[in-house]
This record gives sequence, structure tokens and C-alpha cells, in this order.
Amino acid sequence: MTVGGGPVVEEEKAEGFTIPPDVKQLGIIAGVISAVILIFPGLPAVIKAVGLILALVWGMDSVRKTSKYGLGTGVPSIGVLAMGYGIVGALVGIALVSKVVSKVGDSVLAPAAALGGVLLMGVVGLVSGVLSNHEKIIGMKIPKLEQGMTELGMAGTIAMLLQFSIVAGSLNFDVVLDKAISNGLIAVMFILSCMAMFHPYNACLGPDERRPRTMIVSVEVSGLLCVILGIVVAAVATTTWGVSGVVDGVLLVIFGAVVWLVCFVKFVRMCFEEAYSTVGTGMIKTIE
Amino acid sequence: MPIEIAMLFAWMLLIVFLALVACMFEDLESDVGSQSNPNSQVQLAPQVGQVHRFFNKAISGEAPAYALYCTVAGVIAWVLLSKGAHPIIAIPIGAVVGEAVHVIFSVTAHVGRTTAQKRFEQPIYLDVLYGHIMPIATHGFMATLCITAIAYIQSNLGTLSGNPGLDHPFALPMLAFIWGITVGAIGSSTGDIHYGTEREFQDRPFGEGKRVVYHGKITRYADCGVRTQKDIAAFCAKFGGPCTGLTFGVIILFENWRTLVGMQVARYLPNLEAAAGDSAAVIGIVVGLVIGVAMIVGNLVLVRWARKRYGTFVGE
Amino acid sequence: MDPILILVCVILGGVLASLGVHLLPVGGAPAAMGTATGVATGTVMLMFGAAMCGLFTASSVATFSDNILLVSLSGSVGSWLMMGVTMLVANVIYVFGTGIVPVSGRVDVDPITKEPQKAYKTPQCDGHGVPNVSYISGMVGALLGGFGGAIMYFGLLNYAHFEETMAGIAAMGIFVANAIIAAYNIGGTIEGFQDPKFKRLPKALVSCGVISLLCGVLVVLVVNLGGLTG
Repeated sequence: MTVGGGPVVEEEKAEGFTIPPDVKQLGIIAGVISAVILIFPGLPAVIKAVGLILALVWGMDSVRKTSKYGLGTGVPSIGVLAMGYGIVGALVGIALVSKVVSKVGDSVLAPAAALGGVLLMGVVGLVSGVLSNHEKIIGMKIPKLEQGMTELGMAGTIAMLLQFSIVAGSLNFDVVLDKAISNGLIAVMFILSCMAMFHPYNACLGPDERRPRTMIVSVEVSGLLCVILGIVVAAVATTTWGVSGVVDGVLLVIFGAVVWLVCFVKFVRMCFEEAYSTVGTGMIKTIE
Repeated sequence: MPIEIAMLFAWMLLIVFLALVACMFEDLESDVGSQSNPNSQVQLAPQVGQVHRFFNKAISGEAPAYALYCTVAGVIAWVLLSKGAHPIIAIPIGAVVGEAVHVIFSVTAHVGRTTAQKRFEQPIYLDVLYGHIMPIATHGFMATLCITAIAYIQSNLGTLSGNPGLDHPFALPMLAFIWGITVGAIGSSTGDIHYGTEREFQDRPFGEGKRVVYHGKITRYADCGVRTQKDIAAFCAKFGGPCTGLTFGVIILFENWRTLVGMQVARYLPNLEAAAGDSAAVIGIVVGLVIGVAMIVGNLVLVRWARKRYGTFVGE
Repeated sequence: MDPILILVCVILGGVLASLGVHLLPVGGAPAAMGTATGVATGTVMLMFGAAMCGLFTASSVATFSDNILLVSLSGSVGSWLMMGVTMLVANVIYVFGTGIVPVSGRVDVDPITKEPQKAYKTPQCDGHGVPNVSYISGMVGALLGGFGGAIMYFGLLNYAHFEETMAGIAAMGIFVANAIIAAYNIGGTIEGFQDPKFKRLPKALVSCGVISLLCGVLVVLVVNLGGLTG
């Protein structure tokens, strides 16, 4: 990165634990895989959870690369912005799906219309990125803010749609409205996805921040989100088996708990190893 | 006064009491695990060479953080209630789950931030990490429990007081979200001042703004030994915490009271006569505006008193 | 459903959110150390908290009143009370807890009460506490911001026929996005209308207007495609 202004931190070369894809690759891989998973709401919740984790990690990466330059209002704001857009985009998505269903019948590919909501939100994200970065308007002077906000809008929408799909088992407007929105579950989806996007970079903020370490927190928070969603799915399920049935929910809880435990233990161990030192107790350095 | 209306006012007062407790514990929790704005100094301290034994709990601002715990608690309580559990069981279990999430986030935030300060030679003290988890969880539990109870009561206010038409239209998790955001916003904007301006810089001159040169040079020693975050809660519990609790309690009181008074005076209660709805709203608005104007006058008096009593700046 | 009314409500909500953010006295992290004037928290968080408080009252009132003005005003008075109590108690803590006189750092004389400010200010500080001019500015900001949030809720509820919780969360999503863009415009801190940063207001209003317009179009799309009717 060669753009002037702002404390640009060069990507450190990977040491120890690494995650293969770099920033650009991760966006494409995560975006494509989660979009493909999104098209099939009939998949088991665990697979949709994988897509959800990918979408949230993608969002976290965008948060990281935009807030690296200092936003003036702290890291959290941009994550909240992403999910604020995500809610509107997801509503457009499910409305598109129900329109397609009413026109051509309940075909397998009808849920693909939800991607229309993702694209529209990408456009809104792009416009807000241009407005906030353009010198004559807000002039934040953050390199690639336009791209970051576009990605955030899209990642937020995909994450929201996948959560709808996990809880309601379908992307049909009325079903989602009944099972995920009117009972207030959308609030927990909103805030936990926000956290999965901004908490990792906020929690690891500092001069010695390292991308793999930050990323693992995002996966960990997504695991927690899966546990909560799993409990809800198992509790509100009308069937025992099948999409969003009790078994589906229980599997999701187990999957989320395992993901959370593995990542949490790994993260804390990594931190203990990489910190200046980890001591049981001790006095502080005195100053003359 | 019919018993339904009396019950309505009684439930409202219970909500106000819960709000008072909730926001007081919210503020003390943000002191016992340094969070939000004063935490910027805890974060800055190692960079100016002041290695410390504080708990660096950087979970975003308090508003989203509390929205998170309260919403999780609200969702779990909602799930249990929908399965037929009694609220006395459901609400505390929800709050326990919310606090479990809180503790997980606290640990990741503390170790993550400390590790990212490797070059400033700030170690991770394990006793600080383990020793603060329980105080954080217990203080947070009180706050989350009260907020979840408020959300439960408000979403069932009508049913509880014998008039189901008065239930709040939002679902329980959504109300927990709203009050979580509000309690966090208030806790960080009032209570933090006592911690950030006074306790964090206690060895600096009293009665002046903390100058930029002091930033990061926080008070690291306690009355006896090295200061940790637990000493701070005991100090702030004497003034900052109760004041913050009062803020939220008074806000909830005014918000609910003016609506209820509007309903009562306009004769909307007890039969929910739709024709009286508009005049109930008007009375509520007028009462609110009057209270607000009274507060503006109160601030004028307070500032004038402070200017006269404390005088101009006399330090160097 | 009426697309024009939905658009007007959403745009008005977004623009008022942006205006409200510019009027609130917010000092961010330095204010918590008494180094800057204003309330010691982030702009977005404070506006968000105030608007949520207003939204709660507005949604209660919307159950018994169909008048758009009354519902929106109820929301705006909810926010106004929240900000009023918060700033007043913040000042109580500044005065009685830390012994600081509330003073503005950006102006030498309070434009409303004509009280001199400079002599009371600690050197190397950008003001401290919530002086009267900021207090009044904040009250006006809360009134406008709360009105914006509540009118957006009302539009989504009654013109777009959203279900209550859905209208609440969608209004919150659009509101917070606008508040964040406005907060970026002022760099996170502002003292009120007397602050020189307030002159940047038109830029934020234009941006928020455009973004709210787009969000409003999307809401209309949801209503049309989802087949929502009263």
C-alpha cells in the first residue's frame, strides 16, 4: 500500500499460525461460497452456518482494512453501519424472493433472487463510500473506502439473509417475517453480527495487531452466534427433522460450540505466547 | 381510581426502580473492567512507558456491548417463556447466558489488546485476568437481569395490570435491545466522567480538566500496593455509579409517567377509548416539554452556581 | 401504500438524524477526562441511545394515535428528555464529583447567556463539562433527531405497512447509518452549533439525503415486491 496519509501499517509476513487467503482472495472466496450457500435454503443449518461465518469474516476483513486509517469515531461505527445496511438489504432480498415465487411458482432457484438485494445494497454501500470519501463532500481520505463500504453492505446483507434462512428455514417473506422478525429475533442477529464484524479488530487493536489473530476472533464470535441461533432454531422448531427442525438446531448448537471452543482456546493461547510476557503475577515497572 | 390504573402505575414504578439498579451496576461494571472512553487512557498508558495492572476491556462502546448482553439475555428468556417457563426462572437464566457471553468477550478483549501492545513491554498478568472475571460477571449480571426484567414487564405491561390492550407492541428481545442501547449510552456518558476525570488521575490537581500532557499517565498505585480495576469500583460506587443509576431511573420515570398521565387525564384509560388517543398524546408531549424546559433552567442555575462558587481558573 | 409519503418520511428521518448529530455536544474520549467540552461518549452512541429512547415512546403512542405529528413529537420529546437528564447529571458529576466548571473551548463568550468562558478554562484543555450553549444546542439536536427517528418509524409502520418490530428495526438501521455518516463528517466530536465544525453541515445533509433516498427507494421496493398492504 503506497497511499499517503494515515499511519499505514505494512502487512507483516506470516509467522507461526497463518490463514492462506490474503485480503483480496478472501473477499472473493467468502463472497462466492456464502452466496452459493444462500441460494439453497434447504441445506442443513450447519452448512448455512459455514456460509455465515465466511460472510462475517469477510465483513471483519473489510472493517479492518478501512478502520486501519482511523475513522474518528472508533472502529465499532463502521460495523454497525454494515449491519444497518444489512437489515434493509435483507428485507429487499426476501421481498424479491417472494415476488419471484408468486410469479413463477416455488422453483428451486427462486431464492437466488435474494442476491438482488445483496447487489442493491452493494450499490448503496458504494454510493455512501463515494460520498464519504469524495474530497468535495465529506472527504475522509481513506484509501479504498468505496470498496470497503460496498463490501460491508454486501457482507452484511448476506449475513442477515443467511441468518433468516437458518432460523426460518426459507427465504419466503411471510415465513421470515413470522419466524425471525416479528418476534424480535432480528435484534440479536443484528447485534451479534455487528460484534462479529467489529469486535475482532477492536479487541486486537494496537501496533502489534496481526491479521490471523484478529480473524480467529471473528470466527469465535460467529461460533457464539451459531450457538444462540441453534438454541432458537431448536426451540421454535415445528418439526423434529429436516430444515430448521429440532435436530437441525441441536446440530447447529454443537457445531457452534465446537467452533467457539476451538477458536477461543487457540486465540487465548496465541495471545499468551505472543504477548510481551505472560506472568502469573508481578509488580509494575517503576518510573524514576 | 380503578385497580387496573393503580396497578399500571405500580408496575411503572417497579420498572423505574429496576432501571435505577440496572444503570448503577452498568456503570460500576464499566469501571471494574475498564470500558468505553476512559479506557483510552488505559490503552495509552503503556505507550508512554506506564506499564499497569488494569483490565483493558475494550468491547466497543458500552451501548452496543450492553445491547449485546441484554439482547442475548432477552432472546434466551423469550425462548424459555415460549416453552412455558415461569418468568422468575426464565429471566435469570437469560441473564446468566448474557453474562457468559459478556465474560467471553471480556477475555478476548483484554488479552487481544494487551498482546497488541507487545512493543511497549506490557505483560499479561494472569491474576489480573482471572481476578476480574467474576466482578465483571456479577456487576454485569445485575444490570442485565434488571434490563431483561424491564423488557419482560413492558412487553406484558397490559396483561400484568389487567388490560391486555396496553402491551407494548415490540417483542421482548427488541425491547431488551432498545434499553440495552440506552443504558449503555447513559452509562458511558455520565458515569465515566467520575472514573475518567477523577479516579484515573487521582494524583493530579483536583478541580481542573485533565490536561493533554497528563494523558496516559494514569494513577497506577492504590492506597496500598498497585492499583487494579477492583479498587476503582469501590470509589465510583460512592458517587458516579448512583448518579448514573439516577439518570436512567429518572429518564424511565419521565418517559413512562408522562405517557400514563396523558392517558389518565385524557380519559383514555381504563377503557382504551380510541377517541381520546390524540389528546392523551398531546398531554404527554406537553408534560415532557415542560420537564425539559425545567431541566434547561436547572442547568443554567447549576452552571451559574459553579462559576460563582469555584471562580476563574487559578492554577498555573 | 403511498410511495411518496414513504420516501418523504425516510428522507426526513435521515436528514434530521444528520442534523441532530451535528447539534449534540459530544466530546468523545477526551470529554471523559475533562479535556474536551461535551458529553463523554461517541456521537453515534449518544444519538442512537436518544433516538431509541424516543422510538420506545413513539411506538407506545402509535398504538393509540394515528396522527403523524403527534407520534413524531412524542418520539422527539422522548429523546429530548433523555438528553436533558443525561447532560444535566453529567454536569452534576463534573461540578460536584470533579470540581470542574462547565466551560466551552471553542468560543470565548457564551453566545446565549453572554457569560465569558476563557478565564474559567483549564490551560491545555479544549473546554470541559456541558456549558449552557452546548446544553441548549444538545436539547435542540435531540428534539430534531428524535423527531427524525419517530417519523421514519411512523412512515414504515403506517404507510409501508411494516409489522411493528420490523418497522422499529428497519427505522433503526436506516437512522444509524445516517448518524454514522454524519459523525464521519464531524470527525467524531463537536461542541454544538457554535463549533466551527458545524459549518460542514451542508455536506452531511447532502450525503444523508442521498443515502436516505436510496434506502427509501429500497423500502418502497420491499413494499411493492413483498405485497404488504394495510
